[in-house]
Amino acid sequence: MTLSKSPKSRSSACGLGAPARWTALALLGLMLAACAQAPGTVRSDASVRPQPGARVLIMPPDVEVSELTVGGLLEPNAAWTAAAEANIDRALMNMLTGMSAEPVRFNPKGKLIRKPAVAQLIKLHSVVGSSILLYEYGVGPRLLNKKNGFDWTLGRDAAILGKAYKADYALFVYFRDSFSSDARIALNVVSAIVGAGIRGGQQLGFASLVDLRSGKIAWFNIMARGTGDLRETEAALDASRVLLSELPLSR
Amino acid sequence: MAKLRPWALSALLGFLLSACASAGSVQDIQPGERPDLESDEAGLWMKMDRVEEELVSSGRVVEDPDLNAYLQQIVCRLTPEYCQDIRVYLVRTPGFNASMAPNGVMTVWTGLLLRCQNEAQLAYVLGHELAHYIERHSLKHWRDLRDTTTGLAFFRFATAITGLGLVGDLATIGALGGVMAYSRDYEREADRIGLALMQRAGYSGAEAPKIWDYLQREKDAAGKGSGFIFFATHPPSDERRDTLTGLAQAQGGQGQVGREDFLRLTAGRKAAWLRDELQQRDYARLEVLAQHLQDSGFDPGEAHFVRGEVYRLRDEEGDAAKAVAAYRAALKTKRAPAETYRSLGLVLWSMERPGVAQQAFRRYLAQQPQADDRAMIEDYINQLN
Repeated sequence: MTLSKSPKSRSSACGLGAPARWTALALLGLMLAACAQAPGTVRSDASVRPQPGARVLIMPPDVEVSELTVGGLLEPNAAWTAAAEANIDRALMNMLTGMSAEPVRFNPKGKLIRKPAVAQLIKLHSVVGSSILLYEYGVGPRLLNKKNGFDWTLGRDAAILGKAYKADYALFVYFRDSFSSDARIALNVVSAIVGAGIRGGQQLGFASLVDLRSGKIAWFNIMARGTGDLRETEAALDASRVLLSELPLSR
Repeated sequence: MAKLRPWALSALLGFLLSACASAGSVQDIQPGERPDLESDEAGLWMKMDRVEEELVSSGRVVEDPDLNAYLQQIVCRLTPEYCQDIRVYLVRTPGFNASMAPNGVMTVWTGLLLRCQNEAQLAYVLGHELAHYIERHSLKHWRDLRDTTTGLAFFRFATAITGLGLVGDLATIGALGGVMAYSRDYEREADRIGLALMQRAGYSGAEAPKIWDYLQREKDAAGKGSGFIFFATHPPSDERRDTLTGLAQAQGGQGQVGREDFLRLTAGRKAAWLRDELQQRDYARLEVLAQHLQDSGFDPGEAHFVRGEVYRLRDEEGDAAKAVAAYRAALKTKRAPAETYRSLGLVLWSMERPGVAQQAFRRYLAQQPQADDRAMIEDYINQLN
């Protein structure tokens, strides 16, 4: 009676297609961003001006590292993902401290996450974030009511997080990283010799800074490139710099 | 090369590619076993752990402690050794389905409970899902898919550079068909093990084929292309029914049917779950379902009411009169839901019988003075003056 045993189709069967939607939109971002560090990938809300020394709540980074199989499937790797999560967490703490912000960790095992309002806020962010990817970076027409600058919000309920952690902002970070399997690399080499080309692994990311008083998304950025390695401490720091170097939190 | 018949070559290669899938070497999962963090299986668990987090806060999980405890207790009775490894979630969704994730998350749809007549039938379905877990079917299926697409990538590459791209495309279809065939084989295996588990736990195996028998009737009634999604990847219901009937008889087919607990915990909820089914707008199927429920002791007032809703919503030639007849039959039982009067009023209004329509709306408000839509119904009554 199982619909299917692959996790991807299962998730849509249960109506939980959010991760798949993220991936699709991240790919869209990839196509449009074309290359990393392209100027003009940052979007920000002019009405929000983060102050130096602000307390920034770091939400649990949404990270997944996969192996790209010869056949083009992404096989999620738990060990690589765990390493990448730890690296990204460390990189975010370092970067924010360097920017003269005060980083605060969100506790994913704590009581707060079980509060429906908090769980829904995180889900709402993922929906708003995917809309930003679609309408700010996507192929579709700009929304009529978003023509005058960057204007997105999670609503005033975001204050629940602000109060709980005494934080001014929340930073959401999303990363997907993939590496070709050895067999795919072999096929890639042969393909290159005969003049064909197949896609290798990719690194995709985006981040948003949410003002926890108003709920407004103050700042948003995306990155996409064919290099990098979130499993390595230094390389993960580099990826975080690419994504977050223009965060408006410096003195 | 031109002498090669592309379809024959591709069919052969598709077969070879799917046959070389490596799923055969996978052992059953042991109680309490967790996959090695470096393995592909750990990756699948990680994915499903995240899906589980989303599910828990989705608002669709039925929070009914008694019913949840009941489901978990059947799981533990079927497989005491895996009791700690399985987490059952009852999800409010119409349609007949359940699913098993590699990390032990089992989902059961309310539409499935709605269609089961007793605990033995439910136990059979849960046993089937447990078999997917024990046999690691998710992992095997993933590896089938990975190995088949891997073989295809090399094969397509080879055919592309030799100018036989079409052969590669046809082989893709052949090989992916092979993966689906694997999937059906896993279902057959789960059917067999599910039956063995329920019989070991003391349930009557004779109840298992009755589910497929019933689902086949629903499927026959349903329009083309509107079958349940699981029919695409599952063996035909009549085949499953016949196989199970044979297996159950070989085992004697005796044991517990378990009607009392099952009905006590589900009877009061089935009316709401049946109304969920109306969202599917599969009217022919709903007529079969309403009759099935009525035959199984479901409140006839509710069954007639839903039948009336089916005709009212379908709104084809002659349906208005049929709907009125169904609502009147419901009202005769003295246990019809208050909404029967509201629906009756709407249909009578559409038949341009304002007097009786107005009367029906008044009865609705008399029975349901606190109705959310009171203001709207009052407005209808005024319009009918």
